[in-house]
Amino acid sequence: MNSMNKIIEDIKSKYNVLNIEQPTKQQVSFDFESRDIHAILAYLKSIGWNQLTFLTCVDFIDDKEFQLVFILMNWETGITIQVRTRLDREKPLFKTIVPIFPGAKFYERDVHEFFGVEFEGNEDSKKGLFLELWDDIPPMRKDFDPQKYSDKKYAKRDYNVDFKKEGEER
Amino acid sequence: MVLDEKDRKTWEELGDFFRGKSMWMMHFCTGCGAIELPPAMTSRFDMERIGMGPMATPRQSDVLLVTGYLSAKTLRRVIYSYEQMLNPKYVIGFGSCTLNGGVYYDSYSTINKLDNYIPVDVFVAGCMPRPEAVMNAFKDLMDKIKAGTANGWKKYQENKEWYEENQKLALGEVDVKDEFHE
Amino acid sequence: MRELKLFLGPNHPGMHGNFSVHLYVDGDIVKRARPLPGMLHRGFEKLMERRLWTNNIALIPRICVVEPDINEMVYAMGAEALGNIEVPERAHWIRMIILELARIGIHMMAFGGIGGPTGLYTGPNWAITERDLILDIFEEITGARVYHMYIVVGGVRKDLPKGIEKKIENVLDKLEGRLSEYEDLILRNSTIINRTKDNIVLPEEVARELGVTGIGLRTSSGKAYDIRKVDPYARYDQVEFEVPVANYSDAYTRLETKYKEVKQSIRIIRQVLEKMPKDGPVRAKVSTGSALKWRIPKGQVFSHIESSRGEYGYYIVSDGSRQPYRIAVRGASYPQGLLGIEKYLPGTRLDDVAIWLDTMGVCAPEIDR
Repeated sequence: MNSMNKIIEDIKSKYNVLNIEQPTKQQVSFDFESRDIHAILAYLKSIGWNQLTFLTCVDFIDDKEFQLVFILMNWETGITIQVRTRLDREKPLFKTIVPIFPGAKFYERDVHEFFGVEFEGNEDSKKGLFLELWDDIPPMRKDFDPQKYSDKKYAKRDYNVDFKKEGEER
Repeated sequence: MVLDEKDRKTWEELGDFFRGKSMWMMHFCTGCGAIELPPAMTSRFDMERIGMGPMATPRQSDVLLVTGYLSAKTLRRVIYSYEQMLNPKYVIGFGSCTLNGGVYYDSYSTINKLDNYIPVDVFVAGCMPRPEAVMNAFKDLMDKIKAGTANGWKKYQENKEWYEENQKLALGEVDVKDEFHE
Repeated sequence: MRELKLFLGPNHPGMHGNFSVHLYVDGDIVKRARPLPGMLHRGFEKLMERRLWTNNIALIPRICVVEPDINEMVYAMGAEALGNIEVPERAHWIRMIILELARIGIHMMAFGGIGGPTGLYTGPNWAITERDLILDIFEEITGARVYHMYIVVGGVRKDLPKGIEKKIENVLDKLEGRLSEYEDLILRNSTIINRTKDNIVLPEEVARELGVTGIGLRTSSGKAYDIRKVDPYARYDQVEFEVPVANYSDAYTRLETKYKEVKQSIRIIRQVLEKMPKDGPVRAKVSTGSALKWRIPKGQVFSHIESSRGEYGYYIVSDGSRQPYRIAVRGASYPQGLLGIEKYLPGTRLDDVAIWLDTMGVCAPEIDR
């Protein structure tokens, strides 16, 4: 547990941390302002968190914000760090982290496709990857309704109804 | 075009008899059902002993096995592959997802009713169907072919406009020119 | 010089699953390679937000088709971490049996599957039949061959059936007896050695740059980077096993490592059968009242385990309601399956592309989700 406390103290003393959580005993998450993220990622990479495990996004529609989550892994100590930041939902814009972690290229593309977050400097991220000829808002946003989209585009099979409730049509 | 099995000519009957004895299925794992095909093909269940085997290319195969859910992107490739196959050709819809969407009934990317887009001769329900069910489906298809009732490919030719309309509705554009946006 | 475009997949016998790689070749040297994922995209992350916490148990195994149990495990681990649920001791050990059996199954499939791209079809025929023995055990424990839905939040669905320990041991004995034959068939076969030795080399810098984990990272760095050791879950800290490593990662080494991992998994299951508590509860009660009203407290957690292809994880966000707020899936083959293909396949020979896909373990359904 020693190394865990050390890293928390270290980050706290160097950067402006908005919030710290510790979901499990080998994991810690920090919230930062979005402009600090690149410096923090570069710093964490230099002290052993050299693997970007995951980059994803969460849509907090009630707060009108997107949350970007960078998950870093240190294989020597086994400690996972979540670095999180919030973006404005109306104009989600973030500078790419590909120069720090080249492996982020396709994750950024993924996030752009499913949430519409733009990554400045990663030109490839604007291209579609998983979806082909997509014609609606990015599907992982909370205000997208997959049932409605499915009903509109894909035909459903009709079944004979053996039993119906009283007052029901059909 | 003969859609009724009673109007089959003698040579067609003969042809169907032999076709029903050896089925080549196309090697296209469209969904998760494909995981039960290796056991069915290899030495434990050994589907080859009843006259069915895998075939690498669409042009040489008789059966298109749609193994499980189809996302819109795969449906496009399935249609290309189906149209490449030579007549007579048959389709087996494999798993609940091809019937009604299965657990993905409300997904934005998977289709719910396969026979709206290509004609299906035999459906196998379940998630996931066991290797015995795969072989059973093949046996059913063979019986149907011998009886002259597996006429999906004729239906496809006759109702081409209807199928194309459905495909367009689900896919927008059936042909994609630029997959990588380059 | 002329560039020619070739399609590897989706309907190609050398392709694993429904995945496509478009290759621009000059002669038989690959000049550019473009992965085309998304053909297995089902929108799982969206569907999971729409289902209850309990209903998701039926949905999650379907994310990775070849190794479904890891999904159940990470989901359960995440929910348990958020909800502070204590898992009964016996359930931990049963989970380990399931996970290691699944690991043997997929390694057998991948190990024998090298026969596909190299043209040695005895390999798949043997290995898939042997894997079926494991599926039979699964069927007896869980009732299903492929999608088990057995590891649930708070433990496992039900206790092991009576006398299954003996059957598992029989299967392990049989497998172990056959392993030397596999060594002769695959690892000492000149066809395979010629095709895989010094071929498709993955240097450590590349593995680090891409974020490749699992066998790719372990064989290139020479360090035991295995989550079972680094951040142990279940009861992996109470069993003895080695993590096979190497300092040079070519296709042959990775293949050999898979073979060694099968041996270690057999060793783990033997220890589990010996050490596990013989009776006791296997499922903790997670809520009072109906499972439909079951809520998980607010929080965000990344739960990860070691799959056969590397670090596999879910990022789970709960807002305290009956449904998960967001679940993001980190597929273990994401780095090698997308950026790895685009950046490091150019320069290799055309017929070695399938060997990259095979030995690096590119699993299409977990990339697409």
